Amino acid sequence: MTVFHFFNCAILTFGPHAVYYSATPLSEYDTLGTCIKAALVYLGTALVKLVCLATFLKVSENDTFDPYQELLKALIGFIDVAGLYFALTQLTHRNISQNHKFQAVGLGWAFADSVLHRLAPLWVGARGLEFTWEYVLQGLEANANLVFTVSLAAMGSLMWLRKSKPRALIPLIYACAGILATMPSITSYLRRSLGWRLPEVVGFELSASLVMAIISWQLFSACQRPLV
Amino acid sequence: MATRKARQGEMLESVYSVLAMVFVLFACVELCDAATVLDVYRLIQYDLAGSPFGSRFASLNHHASSSAFAPGVDLSRSVVISPVRELNLTVLREFIEMRRPLGGLLFLLPKHFDRSGRQDAEEGDEVEEGKLRNTLAELEDLLIHASLPYPVYFAFENDKVAEILADVRRNDASSQPATATTGGFKLLVSTSEPKKLASTPITNIQGWLPGLKADDDVNQLPTIAIVASYDTFGAAPALAVGSDSNGSGVAALLELARLFSRLYSNSKTRGRFNLLFGLTSGGPYNYDGTSKWLRSLDQRLRESIDYAVCLNSIGSWNNELWIHVSKPPENAYVKQVFEGFSDTAKDLGVKVGLKHKKINISNPRVAWEHEQFSRLRVTAVTVSELSVAPELLQNSGGLHDSREFLSESSVIKSVKLVAETLARHIYGQQGKNIEIFADGSSLAVNPSYISAWLDFLSQTPRVAPFFVKNDPLIASLKKELAEHNVEVNVHQDVLDGTFTFYDSTKAQLNIYQVASVAFDLLLLLVVGSYLILLFSFLFITTRGLDDLIGLFRRPPSRKVKTA
Repeated sequence: MTVFHFFNCAILTFGPHAVYYSATPLSEYDTLGTCIKAALVYLGTALVKLVCLATFLKVSENDTFDPYQELLKALIGFIDVAGLYFALTQLTHRNISQNHKFQAVGLGWAFADSVLHRLAPLWVGARGLEFTWEYVLQGLEANANLVFTVSLAAMGSLMWLRKSKPRALIPLIYACAGILATMPSITSYLRRSLGWRLPEVVGFELSASLVMAIISWQLFSACQRPLV
Repeated sequence: MATRKARQGEMLESVYSVLAMVFVLFACVELCDAATVLDVYRLIQYDLAGSPFGSRFASLNHHASSSAFAPGVDLSRSVVISPVRELNLTVLREFIEMRRPLGGLLFLLPKHFDRSGRQDAEEGDEVEEGKLRNTLAELEDLLIHASLPYPVYFAFENDKVAEILADVRRNDASSQPATATTGGFKLLVSTSEPKKLASTPITNIQGWLPGLKADDDVNQLPTIAIVASYDTFGAAPALAVGSDSNGSGVAALLELARLFSRLYSNSKTRGRFNLLFGLTSGGPYNYDGTSKWLRSLDQRLRESIDYAVCLNSIGSWNNELWIHVSKPPENAYVKQVFEGFSDTAKDLGVKVGLKHKKINISNPRVAWEHEQFSRLRVTAVTVSELSVAPELLQNSGGLHDSREFLSESSVIKSVKLVAETLARHIYGQQGKNIEIFADGSSLAVNPSYISAWLDFLSQTPRVAPFFVKNDPLIASLKKELAEHNVEVNVHQDVLDGTFTFYDSTKAQLNIYQVASVAFDLLLLLVVGSYLILLFSFLFITTRGLDDLIGLFRRPPSRKVKTA
């Protein structure tokens, strides 16, 4: 029955990406190319990130939270933002609207992240005889990650692509993007320093992703309004 | 504005559902553990004259159950975990006799029987310990003489296993025994099917201390043989250390060799007897090794043996030691030997008794080692604490025969008795109350030497079929004997073909907590409905995002329809 469990975990991990693509107009406008491009950019970014991590970070023997190292890690994490910036602004996309562009980029980005980070452990671990909740939780984490990435891409598109936006909202947008970009460091802090276990961290991520999704959605709609 | 409110309500609903799922998961998370790995020791598997005995299988892949062999429960697909401490032997015996199907059997031995954890074992209740020992002995006897068509393993209790057992018990009490549909724990031993071992090697080690020959003496000096069988047989070959049977005899023999080597190293105290020390193998199998060794000896040497003293199980007697002979007590040689022992015993304040058991040549069973000598017309006695002859494979150093039931002082007393008796015989001091190996003298029995050897032997399983080539145990016995003897020979042979043994005595047991099919189905249902919910939610919302004007103008009812 372990293949069954693997299947369950796999659709929990990768299902939302497919659902997102097919349920939203992304599929109608055939934005798969953009998704793939974003995924490729993610691959490149991940490589650069790995090289940076390997160069600048010490391998900590114990699992403690070292603020300096974590700060460095967060800074390296901002390479992600740079990658997203590149994917959103520098790449030539077929003429699709900005709305779809950021969603497609976010989706491709999150999917590549899920495949790179979760597929191998899932394949190795979830088919084992021992049952653990770990892979179910990992699937949920992938969902939260999807929401974070799409929200971040939305913020990015607001910051870099939209010229006319309400002045009052600009600091809010930047703050929101900052929070989204530092989310990996926040969860790492929770896990290492506060000693939260995986279920708690995942619960936090899920609720945070919901909150961030609502906030960024509201921001996005607020920026759209003057166009109406 | 009303539509926005409705949409927010919808969103809140989905938020609730996600939150509810998170809470459900939270509630379940406490259940999970990691896989446990346990060293397990398989019940011996052997054929005796073609008929099968012991556990006939090795690989195991079933769910755990704690059911106490209750009638009417189908156990053919479950492994019964049974702590020996709470074992009901009569129920088990009935179960085995009825030949009911079973997936497997795992016996949990009390923790302090574990050799590695002995130091921190707390002192238990004496009576309780004795009872446990009897249970173990009976269990072993039962298992050795039954043919069990399922894998049987022994393991030591530890905290993790205790937890799992408690869990399994709770499950069993609440519902039907664990199967694929209810989850629980799965026990997995993955080994290949046990293979027949080609032959059982027998290695006898022989040490020689030559006596002092007078220059004008043309006759060969008489020889005294001291013999102990060193190998064991038990339900779990990897745990058959046989502290008493016959670790005590081996330790005593080594100490005797040490004492006499000190006497024989000086030509003034060198006796007019040769001393032959024999560590024989094949003890549990009718002393087959002893017989083969004797037959391989030079005939002149064999005929020069004045008498042989066999040491067997001398480690836990209190008051009385038995001298077993196979010639009638009236026989002059037997009388002489026994008198020698009883005189010394009187001086040492212990009691020895004489037991006579006739040899039936047509019966292949050889209960005592000295019978092999007697069959070759060599006078021999066995010194043992046992008053009756053991049956085949009985008292051969199984699970119950562990170090804590052994008293070093008994071994020391036995060594003293034998050493004094032999010394009086060698130096012609029969009937005189002299103490050659007095405490405190340079010839005193060394308790720490005996204790060290007892410890070592109590940690070394010694079942002959499972000795590897150049086994370290045999090497160390040989080395030790060579320390104290002038000449050491190793005699190799193979056990005769009535016994056939199978390999794989040790394995690793993996205990997994597994989810049931029902759970997997439920999970699929939850994940599926989550995805459907997500799909409809996204569909509704992105219609709005896609067409902002449409979002505010279109009536919500149409939106739901398109969704």
